[in-house]
Amino acid sequence: MLSYRTTGYNGYGVQYSPFFDNKLAVATAANYGLVGNGRLFVLSIEPDGTIKQQNIWDTQDGLFDVAWSEIHENQVAVSSGDGSIKIFDIMVPQFPIQNYKEHTKEVFSVNWNLVDKGNFISSSWDGTIKLWSPQRQASILTLHGNTSSASVNPHMSETNPPKTHNQMGRSSAVDTTNCIYNATFSPHSPSTILSCNGSSHLQVWDTRAPSPLQMDFIAHGGLEVLSCDWNKYQSSVVASASSDKSVRIWDLRMLPTITSQAQSPITAYRTRTATPLAQLVGHQFAIRKVTWSPHSADELLSASYDMTCKVWKNLNSPNIQSSSFSTMACFGTMHLHREFVIGCDYSLWGEPGWAASTGWDEQVYVWDSKRLSH
Amino acid sequence: MERLNHLAGQLNPSSKQAILEKHPDDVVIVGAYRTALTKGGRGSFKDVGSDYILEKFLEAFLKKTGVDPTLIEDVACGNVLNTAAGASEHRGACLAAGIPNTAAFVALNRQCSSGLMAVADIANKIKVGDLECGLALGVESMSTNYGPQSIPKVDKHLQENPEMAKCLIPMGITNENVASKYNISRTAQDEFAARSYNKAERAVSQGAFKDEILPIESVLADEDDDDNVVYTKKMVDTDEGPRKGVTAASLGKLKPAFSSTGTTHAGNASQVSDGAAGVLLMKRSLAEKKGYPIEGKFVFCTSVGVPPEIMGVGPAYAIPSVLKKTGLKVEDVDVFEINEAFAAQCLYSAQTVNIPEERLNLNGGAIALGHPLGATGTRQYATILRLLKKGQIGLTSMCIGTGMGAASIVVKE
Repeated sequence: MLSYRTTGYNGYGVQYSPFFDNKLAVATAANYGLVGNGRLFVLSIEPDGTIKQQNIWDTQDGLFDVAWSEIHENQVAVSSGDGSIKIFDIMVPQFPIQNYKEHTKEVFSVNWNLVDKGNFISSSWDGTIKLWSPQRQASILTLHGNTSSASVNPHMSETNPPKTHNQMGRSSAVDTTNCIYNATFSPHSPSTILSCNGSSHLQVWDTRAPSPLQMDFIAHGGLEVLSCDWNKYQSSVVASASSDKSVRIWDLRMLPTITSQAQSPITAYRTRTATPLAQLVGHQFAIRKVTWSPHSADELLSASYDMTCKVWKNLNSPNIQSSSFSTMACFGTMHLHREFVIGCDYSLWGEPGWAASTGWDEQVYVWDSKRLSH
Repeated sequence: MERLNHLAGQLNPSSKQAILEKHPDDVVIVGAYRTALTKGGRGSFKDVGSDYILEKFLEAFLKKTGVDPTLIEDVACGNVLNTAAGASEHRGACLAAGIPNTAAFVALNRQCSSGLMAVADIANKIKVGDLECGLALGVESMSTNYGPQSIPKVDKHLQENPEMAKCLIPMGITNENVASKYNISRTAQDEFAARSYNKAERAVSQGAFKDEILPIESVLADEDDDDNVVYTKKMVDTDEGPRKGVTAASLGKLKPAFSSTGTTHAGNASQVSDGAAGVLLMKRSLAEKKGYPIEGKFVFCTSVGVPPEIMGVGPAYAIPSVLKKTGLKVEDVDVFEINEAFAAQCLYSAQTVNIPEERLNLNGGAIALGHPLGATGTRQYATILRLLKKGQIGLTSMCIGTGMGAASIVVKE
């Protein structure tokens, strides 16, 4: 286990470089991200087992997520609480090389396209997902997560009764219905996006389609979905993590698409209830991040407000492919963090199983998920 | 600040948002109405049977809601005192009132919760897809059916059994047990009962019940000077239970009814009444398709068992159960309708669950309005849907003879 202290800044996102086996980018925010500055760290893991700071950049508002460029080894994108997205270059100190300001609220996730590599997406509390190219000054495409908005997706407004989607009478302090907490590109297709939002929906988008929304279902019974990720080996399998303290694993082939819903002779209420392949229960508070292993089809990592990361694996025989997800269980728990764990990532490099995590205790830990206490 | 609220919401997720959401497969309430509740034995329904009350009520109900009766696939009718819970005569009343014989019928009796059980029965059948639309009813004529004939018959070999004996304890005595076990004083009971009367008095003076009561015609049989029975028709549209100017002091003068050392009396117990109430439920997709106005959404109902000798504590167990199962907290519920079978049991239950009195039985309860046993569960729905504002959550509950409690959650839309 290696560690680095992001003194004065609470960690929100961490990602391994796809180009260098010893580089980590960490997005942080002062004052727990509630108010104040942000700072991006690029850290270097030294041969002697120490972690050194290679670059830092300060920003006006807290940083909530980070994504390395898949096409340029020195570039990294961050999303900020003031609605901006910035791209920094390791060779350019102090200032971002790009600054995009289109989102009107906190940008909670940023994710680079793993297949196309030439673009990336951001998701925001303003209810939109935006597609960007580092070569362009403005976004290429905006997807509206609130499916009742007819201007975005006329196809949708016909198929779903508008009355039902007009959620009246919300009386809580904040309405998180439209907050898109996470949007992530499929590692199998250059145009397919998975997103999750505060009204419990998982949505699948195809940016090539005239009506981009392909699937839309309630994944966690009405509670907020805070993170989602594509399985790196099976193109139809995704995971979602929620404030209901569970991770759910879904096979998208078993769920109705928007068009099949519209044409189906089966009444809507029967097709609407989606059943996950598996539900992983064990965290004691909301789960903020879920990420699939790059090395194994049936292993994933979760980070939670309960101050732990958990590794979930198929503990049964690896040969039984058909049931590999439903037999996943908690393999081990990482207990080092002393505050909320917000971000985690698997290393693509070296011995499979290394992971990095960061959280509100101002710590970045690099640790081996195979050597955890059970 | 918004970020902090986000975080708080994620750390302490409430099911409230999920419950307020609208989905096509929700069970929704398209109409909930009741008759006026009349005094048992001497009120406006004293000379008619429960089937008559039900028939007249249903005629008015169908007219008022304007719902196509052929949509109704099943009718559940709660009733306590009729023989066989009124399975035959209430089916007949439905047909007579214009519900086609293609609709099925079931008579339900879970004592004082029978009306609520009818709502839950229909709602659950809609939830699982058995029905698209059903009618939940409750009716009671205590005038004609309350009396020695309602005492259960027990096999002589079991009469000595202590558990059996507990189930035969008169309700008033079970309430004396609650009052003495949990130290509910006579003064506290009388104050609670007086507040029920005062709330009902205010509600009547403000016309708060106008919307929920469907006026129906009754027939009174009186003897003239020559001892011939003379029938007169009368429109019944006003509750006969509420009295003006009741105070704890005036109730304090009444003698205990069940035990000379007891605290329960006619003024702090529910009234013997006649009446009916009904709730029309359907799947939201059907209501939207047909364009019927949606009054509310049925969320959940649960029943629990408690010791029969203190059956009045039922709500103190049923309410936490329904809150736990729906993931709600007491603070999430805006209005509570807890049946006032007796002041002591209702007061004890409300205090145990920490229900603030300003959210409890806002228009008075059974002490002031009356408790037509089988109709109370549906009567509460008619009342609470007028008390809630859009987007608010309501809870109805009651204690149940022989030791049970039931509670349900409804959302006003």
